[in-house]
Amino acid sequence: MKEIVKITIGLTLTCLIAAGIMGGVFIITAKAKKHNEYINFKENMLALLGYDHQKPAPESLQLCTVYRYLIHQPEQTSLGYMLPVKASDDSDDIQYQLVRVSTEGKFIDAFDLAIDSAQATDMGDRAKAMSAVLPEDVNNIVFGDQFIVATNNNKRLAFLLPGKSPGFKTHINFMMALNAEYGVIGLQVLEHQEDPGLGAEIEQEYFKNQFTGKDVERLKTLKVIKEPLPTEQLRFLERSKWQPDQYSEKEIDALQKKYQPKDICAITGATISTVAVVNGVKNVVTKFVYRVKILENIISQQNISVAF
Amino acid sequence: MLENNQSYGNIFLNGILNENPIFRLALSMCPAVGISTNMMNGLLMGIAVIFVQVCSSLTISLVKDFIHPRIRIPTYTLTIATWVTVTDLVLAAFFPVAYKSLGIFVRLIVVFCFITMRLDVFARKNSVFPSLIDALGMGFGFLLGMMAIGGVRELMGMGTLFGVDVLGFRPLLFFVLPCSGFFVVGFMMAIFNYTEIVYNRRKKARSFA
Repeated sequence: MKEIVKITIGLTLTCLIAAGIMGGVFIITAKAKKHNEYINFKENMLALLGYDHQKPAPESLQLCTVYRYLIHQPEQTSLGYMLPVKASDDSDDIQYQLVRVSTEGKFIDAFDLAIDSAQATDMGDRAKAMSAVLPEDVNNIVFGDQFIVATNNNKRLAFLLPGKSPGFKTHINFMMALNAEYGVIGLQVLEHQEDPGLGAEIEQEYFKNQFTGKDVERLKTLKVIKEPLPTEQLRFLERSKWQPDQYSEKEIDALQKKYQPKDICAITGATISTVAVVNGVKNVVTKFVYRVKILENIISQQNISVAF
Repeated sequence: MLENNQSYGNIFLNGILNENPIFRLALSMCPAVGISTNMMNGLLMGIAVIFVQVCSSLTISLVKDFIHPRIRIPTYTLTIATWVTVTDLVLAAFFPVAYKSLGIFVRLIVVFCFITMRLDVFARKNSVFPSLIDALGMGFGFLLGMMAIGGVRELMGMGTLFGVDVLGFRPLLFFVLPCSGFFVVGFMMAIFNYTEIVYNRRKKARSFA
C-alpha cells in the first residue's frame, strides 16, 4: 500500500514538473510562432502579387481583409461580413463594419464595430466586438472564411483567397489571386503533406502556372486530363527558368490566350493530388464569385464607403 | 563509474559503429523508412534527435536516484515527451523553415525506441558526463544513418542532393516511394555487416601473423 502511494505521488510530481516546463516554453514561444505564421502568410500574398525581395511592394499597397461569419439565430441563419470601411472620405484610417446579409442575398442591417485593425487579426477579439453589437437572440457566431483585397492607390489589384482541399494525405492549403474580372492571376500552395517526388510536385511552377489566365466560366468546366505537358508549354510555364527577354509581352499574352482553353495536365503518379487541387480551386473561386457579387450589390446599394 | 573501463572516445564511437541505432540495432526503423526521402530531412531530423537524446539522457542521469524502479519506463516516456514538445515549440517559433519540412515528424520522436533504450541501458547506470557522450554518439549514429539513407534515396529518386540538381535527370522514381526505404535500409545493413566480417577476419589474420 505504501508502495502504491509512493508511486502515485512520484508520477504526479513528475507530470506536474513536465507540464510546468512545457507550459513555460509555450508561453515564451507563442508570440514568435504567431508572428512567423503572419509573416509567412504575408510573404505568400506578396509573392502572388508579383513582389519579392528584388522588387519590394510599394508603400501605397494596402491589404484589406474581409471576414465572413455565419450568424445563427433561433429562427434564421444569416451571413455576417466584417468589412473594413474608411473612417472619413479624406483619411486613410480604417474602421470596421458588420453587414448582415440573409441567405437569399438580401441586406438585413449593418453595425459599426468598436475594433481597431490590430485587434481585427485576432479571432477572439473579433467575436467579442461582434457579439457586443448583435441582437441578444443570436446564439452562435461561426467563422466561415476570409478573403483579402489588395489595393494600390485606391485601385483594386487583386482578390486573394485562401483555400483548403482534402489531398492525398491531409489537407492542402493554398492561396489564389484573382484579378478584378475574377480571372486567375496565380496559385500558391502554402502547406501540404503529399509524397515528395509525386504529390509534392503541386508546388512546382509547371503545375501552378497552368491555372494562370483561366476565368470563372473556364474554371467551372475545368478538368484533369492524363496527357503529358507539351515541351513548348512546359517551357512557357517554368517562369523562373526563362532567359531575360525570352518572351516579349505580346508573346506572353498570345501564349496565355492559346493555353487558356486547355485543361490541367495531371502530374505523373499523382492524379489524386492534381484532382484535389483542381477541385479545391474550382470550389473556392465559384463560391467566392457568387458571394462577392451579392456583396458588391449591397455595398453599392447601401452606400458603404469600403476601404477597397 | 564506467563499466569495463571504456574510454570516452570508445563510448562515442560505440553509438556510431558497434551499436548504430539504425544499422546494427535495427531500432527506430519507422522514421528511417518514412522520413528519409531526402538528405535535408535526414539532417534536420538527426539534429532534433541529438537534442532530445542529449537532454533526456542528462535529465535521467541527474535524477536517476529518485526514479522508482517500477515506473521507470513511464518516467522515460514523460521525459522524452517533454523535451520533444520543447523542441517542437522552439522549432515552430524560431526556425520556421525547418519546421515546415519536418512538421509532424518532430512529434514522432517521442516513440523512437532507441532513445528510451539508451536511457534504460546507459543513462540510468552512469553519471552525467558519460551519459552525455553516449547520447551524442547515439545521436550522431542516427544522424549519419539517416543522412546516408536520405542521400541515396534522393540521388536515385530525384537526381538531387540537398535540393541541388546533381545528375540533371531522375534515375528511378521508385526510390522516393515508401517501399524503397526498406530496400535501401536492407542493403546498407548488409554492407555494414559485411564490412564488419571482413574487418574481423583481417584482424584475426593479423593476430595470427
